[in-house]
Amino acid sequence: MNRSLLYRGLAILALVVVAVYSAWPLDEKIRLGLDLRGGMHLVLQVKTEDAVRAELDQDQDRLLRFAEKEEIAGLSARADAGEAGADGAGPVRSFVVAGATAEQADALADLARENLRTSDGDPAWEMTRRGDELVFTMEDVHARNLERQAVSKALDTIRNRVDSFGVAEPVIQPISGTDRILVQLPGVDDPERVRDLIKETAFLEFRLNDYPREGSSGVPREQILAHYGGRVPDHVEILPVRPEEDDTGRATDAAPLYIAVERRSVITGGDLKGAGPDVGQFNEPVVRFNLTPQGGRDFAAATGANVGRGLAILLDRRVVSSPRINSKIGDTGIIEGGFTPQRVADLALILKSGALPAGITYLEERTVGPSLGRDSIRQGLRAGLLGVALVALTMLVVYRLSGINALVALVLDMVLLFGGLAAFNATLTLPGIAGIVLTIGMAVDANVLVFERIKEELRAGRTVRSAIDAGFGKALSSILDANITTLIAALFLFQFGSGPIKGFAVTLSIGILVSVFTAVIVSRWIFDLQLARRERVERLSI
Amino acid sequence: MELLRDLNIDFMKYRKFWIVVSLVLLAVGIFSVFVHGKLNVGIDFAGGTQLTLKFKQPPDLGELRRVIADAGIAEAQIQRFGEPGDHEIIVKTPLVEGSEEGSRAPVVAALDARYNPGAAGLDLNRAGAADVAAVLLGGVPDVRSEADLARQADALAVAEAILDARRDAGLFTDWDQLAAAPGVGAEALAQLRDASRLGEFALLGVENVGSQIGEELRLKGILAVILSLLGMLIYIWVRFELRFGIGALMASLHDVVVCLGFYALAGFEFNLTTIAAFLTLVGYSVNDTVVIFDRVRENMRKTRRMPLIEVLNLSLNQTLSRTFLTSGTTLLAVGALLVFGGDVLRGFAFVMTVGVVVGTYSSIYIASPFTLLWEQLFGSEARARRASGRQKAA
Repeated sequence: MNRSLLYRGLAILALVVVAVYSAWPLDEKIRLGLDLRGGMHLVLQVKTEDAVRAELDQDQDRLLRFAEKEEIAGLSARADAGEAGADGAGPVRSFVVAGATAEQADALADLARENLRTSDGDPAWEMTRRGDELVFTMEDVHARNLERQAVSKALDTIRNRVDSFGVAEPVIQPISGTDRILVQLPGVDDPERVRDLIKETAFLEFRLNDYPREGSSGVPREQILAHYGGRVPDHVEILPVRPEEDDTGRATDAAPLYIAVERRSVITGGDLKGAGPDVGQFNEPVVRFNLTPQGGRDFAAATGANVGRGLAILLDRRVVSSPRINSKIGDTGIIEGGFTPQRVADLALILKSGALPAGITYLEERTVGPSLGRDSIRQGLRAGLLGVALVALTMLVVYRLSGINALVALVLDMVLLFGGLAAFNATLTLPGIAGIVLTIGMAVDANVLVFERIKEELRAGRTVRSAIDAGFGKALSSILDANITTLIAALFLFQFGSGPIKGFAVTLSIGILVSVFTAVIVSRWIFDLQLARRERVERLSI
Repeated sequence: MELLRDLNIDFMKYRKFWIVVSLVLLAVGIFSVFVHGKLNVGIDFAGGTQLTLKFKQPPDLGELRRVIADAGIAEAQIQRFGEPGDHEIIVKTPLVEGSEEGSRAPVVAALDARYNPGAAGLDLNRAGAADVAAVLLGGVPDVRSEADLARQADALAVAEAILDARRDAGLFTDWDQLAAAPGVGAEALAQLRDASRLGEFALLGVENVGSQIGEELRLKGILAVILSLLGMLIYIWVRFELRFGIGALMASLHDVVVCLGFYALAGFEFNLTTIAAFLTLVGYSVNDTVVIFDRVRENMRKTRRMPLIEVLNLSLNQTLSRTFLTSGTTLLAVGALLVFGGDVLRGFAFVMTVGVVVGTYSSIYIASPFTLLWEQLFGSEARARRASGRQKAA
């Protein structure tokens, strides 16, 4: 056997060994996509607007407090309506201060510049005059930072939450270029609980009551509307009170109640340092919380100025409880709301693992039970095996003994394909299985191109040896061109596709590369092996 | 075995006839998709919620429709799924205005009310491991000691085993199925029978796509197909010539539209997997066409004076056996997928099956004629004729 033949043979063997080693045993080495394994796929959107708005509210309050310290009084402030209107349809990025004289305006500008800064130490606000009002607009850089931080914090929080669930190989990542997060949890068996738990990493806020002004457990909506004469003022909104829960954690059937609260938050989840379950005065389960120093200061200021008023504690824009402020509260407090011990534990976990400074919406959710995936695998494999059998038969019938050549190439295709999937740690999805079956059908194409060429050359009168040479040589450009175009399609599929489609694109691409390799290199080697046996070959079974 | 040797079919002679046939197919395709509105768009693009349910008893579709409609959920689509003995159903509901979260909860609640009325205790066909473990422990565990922790871990392990059994079966129809799970002894079984029940249905899968994502997926899908076609055109332009690129492009477009028409008529759902199928189809169709053009290029080099139409005919004849063989094997493979590959992949297999047939046809009767047409309208001879025509006039 000549040397080139030997080396080529060894190289091919080496590849096969590597492939088999990577991919065996199949069910351990090949990573299955969610649609085959079962699990949850979620795309969440972090409502970064909430975080920015909360910061705006807080800075607004701080500015007025600093002003008071400098003996500047008689000021009022409100958020400036967003581009589309006061209902917040456009992003709110500025607040307006009224009632300041010209000198006071300068002083305020100084106060803002010195005290309201970004984390880099730059001023966070820019002041302009509008008539006799002062408009403070948030610097873009600051707003973007806040948005990024909100997403980052949400990411951490969700990771902590999911960790406590003990899911194997969770995927929790930001989606670059957006304020979205991708969560993939394979093998989750209680999607509803996971969903609720993640969703509950929602917005914690403390706001002052407007009506009923004292602490309250809520009143019917009609009563509130009647109090305001049918139209609620701009700085107030009506929010529902969370219904009580029974032992199993389900809400009771009582009529829904509401409280009218100020739109501004006094403090939010971002100011929380920690939380834990505790017992209250009457041994009822409560949640104890601690605030950050800055949060503590804001809280003290707000409660100190509003003793006797009700403070609404909102979770996800629902009133969890609304106790009366009895005295100035510093940086520690409790949340009580008729909770069960389980609920308190959950709430504390939510607050402790980081309450979010912004809310979350589910944009997309896909949960697949594993039995669906199992069926699909079974059926796909069935079709695949049948496909291989049929294609192999065809090749044998049409090309006789050379068909065995094609058959070997086909089998090698499958081995190398699975080896490639395992080696690249690619994910096999349901469309990916379709891709494998498709590859089986198309894999022989390269072989067919070569064989037909060889036949033509034989008919034209060439010797067997030179026909084989010419066949491979001339067919090569066809093979390359044809398969590159299919690769282009696979490339776009990969770019624009989501998870399962990406899996298909990868499987198809690997399949194409592998089939070109086997047709050009392996088939050639097998022919050469045949030719090497004798000096002159008269006929070729093709 | 010698297939199709020494043929000399004059393909191009009847090209006008076949172009008419194609136009008819195209018209049917466009009509059924756009005018007749028959494209069954899945939630991937239209947004909405899709639930896969499995029932103990064969469910009555009419009954289901009534139950869901009564719950105030409009325009729900309900269809059977999987093998007939599986009792599996898919419920699709459209996007609810203003809500990104979909209608999973109300639909499940409505079904609960109808099929599990007045039921108490944990529904083992829907519960998660933690709740099942709680039942086994006789309530939410109060962990105060090492022994308690151990009991909790044991209960959780048994719960996992039970859920594994449920995963295999999809749904528990009989208490015996639970007894078969490892770790479920007589005592545990008794506890479960006492405090829980086997509900009438299980939720095998939920998919919810909000309006934002739906729109984005739509855009991405369309973009992918358009860019892919352009990419092919440019590649072929570079490797061959513009006229061949145009021919291949026309063939691909033709394939996509005709297949889309058949797809719509067959009533399959149009979702992300369908886009993948169509992109693959484009790839395959161009693949096919390129092989023919490769031969054309070679023949053109060999016979410099032969008119294009003859070169095309010659090349088509020469590549005919390869065309049939490759189409044949691919057809066998995707045919196997179509018949045996299961419900989820059936749409994909359908596109590929129809696509292989139409793609082969279009490589012969669309790509080449259009290349010819382009040549006749814009080729060097045509330009020369026009130039001399202008000279004569001037």
